[in-house]
Amino acid sequence: MARLDPVDVVVVGAGLGGSAFCARLSERAPHLRIVCLERGDWVDRSAMPAYRQDWQRAALGAWATSPNARLSADPTSPSADYAIDDSASPIKPLMWSGVGGSTINWAAHVPRLHPSDFRTRTLDGVGDDWPFSYFDLEPYYDLNDTAMGIAGLAGDPAYPPKHSPRMPPLPIGRMGELAARGFNALGWHWWPAEAAINTVDREGRRACNNAGPCLQGCPIGAKASADLVYWPVAQRNGVTLRTRCVAQQLLVQGGRAIGMIYRDSSGATQEQPAAFTVVACNGIGTARLLLASNIGGGDGALGRYLMFHPVAYARGMFDEELDGPRGPVGACIYSHEFYEHRPGRNFTRGLQLQVTRENALLLQAARLEPAWGASAHRLLREEFRHSLSVMVMAEDLPEARNCVALTDTVAADGLPDVRIDYTVSENSRRILDFGLDRAEEMLRTVGALRVVRVPLAPWSGWHLLGTARMGDDPSRSVTDARGRCHAVPNLVVADGSLFPTAGAVNPGVTIAALALKIADDLAREVVG
Amino acid sequence: MTPEFLSAIVDTLLPGDHSAMPLPTGTAAGVTARLERLGGTAHDTVLAAIARAGHGEEAFVRADAAGRIASVRHVEAEMPEAFRALIAFVLRDYYEAESVLLAMGWRAEPPQPAGHVLTPFDDALLEPVIRRARMWR
Repeated sequence: MARLDPVDVVVVGAGLGGSAFCARLSERAPHLRIVCLERGDWVDRSAMPAYRQDWQRAALGAWATSPNARLSADPTSPSADYAIDDSASPIKPLMWSGVGGSTINWAAHVPRLHPSDFRTRTLDGVGDDWPFSYFDLEPYYDLNDTAMGIAGLAGDPAYPPKHSPRMPPLPIGRMGELAARGFNALGWHWWPAEAAINTVDREGRRACNNAGPCLQGCPIGAKASADLVYWPVAQRNGVTLRTRCVAQQLLVQGGRAIGMIYRDSSGATQEQPAAFTVVACNGIGTARLLLASNIGGGDGALGRYLMFHPVAYARGMFDEELDGPRGPVGACIYSHEFYEHRPGRNFTRGLQLQVTRENALLLQAARLEPAWGASAHRLLREEFRHSLSVMVMAEDLPEARNCVALTDTVAADGLPDVRIDYTVSENSRRILDFGLDRAEEMLRTVGALRVVRVPLAPWSGWHLLGTARMGDDPSRSVTDARGRCHAVPNLVVADGSLFPTAGAVNPGVTIAALALKIADDLAREVVG
Repeated sequence: MTPEFLSAIVDTLLPGDHSAMPLPTGTAAGVTARLERLGGTAHDTVLAAIARAGHGEEAFVRADAAGRIASVRHVEAEMPEAFRALIAFVLRDYYEAESVLLAMGWRAEPPQPAGHVLTPFDDALLEPVIRRARMWR
């Protein structure tokens, strides 16, 4: 094993958290030597499937959203995946492993958390308060908005005023207009989706042309992703990015992190000494690496309190022709009518209703039941270009039993294999059922001929949160408010693992804002 | 396996329809030809099981639609995983075929570079929402 020259900071993971962290720290503390280790590689935009005739099948193979699906369907996927035993979870984890992380294949629907999400214990008696407020994080939301470029409209009454400039919103299309009329008829809130997607040419990236399959990557770069937004800054500032390097073990001596052992792209083992170590490998990868390094001794909160956002769908079929799979798939309109906690309901906290666009024809055909025969043709005719889907996204409260854990086998990447144990709670189930009723009510209001309900969508586990949560109590948290591990103070976490609670919205911009804040916290310490 | 037998299976799975813009059968969309070229590989087990359930390849070909469907359903229940893999294979070829995409009112070209046009956002729709009081806590 070679021992490399020491650096000031070694960062593990070049996804959204790690990328934003590297860019910000290198701006605030330009004298620091920063190295980032990324298990995957840069994605080749020219290889993204949207220009190809076989673009639909790519979504079931090399460009599937699930790492397990990619591994079994197409080992040539450009994502550097590891298998996750998800047999004990009804929700399957989704991610991308490479420079940019899951922003490569995210929908780029970027709502912020609400201020109340930071105070669930104080306001509603559940979960845990965050160690800071929405307004403490707000400047970092604004910084990320500026870096990514946000399309949207100011003035949403569901949020405090937002100060960063917006591009015009994405077109909501016929299905968005239909849903908006439904929400209006019921007197419910709705708003055009905030999206990290260009609606005008901006900073060298083109405007979106509504092509559709955002989850298989955006070859024209209209959709913001961390490789496009943060890495040019970080590399200009001198951050060294080492791709195809898999972190194996954090070295700890005398209660301090002293460096990281990793396997490089040639398979050789290296030791990278560093004054600070930052881990940003998402809610599964971070816990996996830190558990494998025996951080915290295994008795505390590390790996526990795993939160997804359980998701259900109500899909309405209409006589009139709607858009089909035109436009950014996840960014149309949303309703926060039922987001805030209201006493008297049979659940605590709330939900987001999100109007999503149709999937490609093949994907819709593949999930039909039955998927063959004349009835499959009839069903597909009924729904393709004639359906409107409302996604119900529930707030998932933190529960210690939901966890990421290691198995006793070793994976091909040299780390222990990983599994997740996760159960949808009674409270989450009640939220989903309530949300499905409301979604169906809206769809019927605007004339749906038939409504299909999907009580729980298994392939929805994008939001991997809470497994290294922030807090003051080391028995219920892994890090403090600055992302510093209680057990190892110069070990920093900078990803979605930090969330003490999850809210009921997509967490992307909150992950980015957290990473930017944590970078500033570290810069203040080293620069003064 | 004979081309007639493969065609009979594919067209049982993907019979097409007779609407104004008719969906072609799986064979007409080129799926059988692809399955023939694949010959002797991944799906032989499930194809052979369908032949057995239909009392032989020739008998399956001669059977009426209801008889073929019954044989296929039998195998679907008997070996669900292998059957699902066969379905996944035929669906991929079928729903990528130009004739099928056009019959479904879509286009044959991939999403890029042309993209799609959507009607611009009409912000008048938002008037009742803009008038609402603050909702956040």
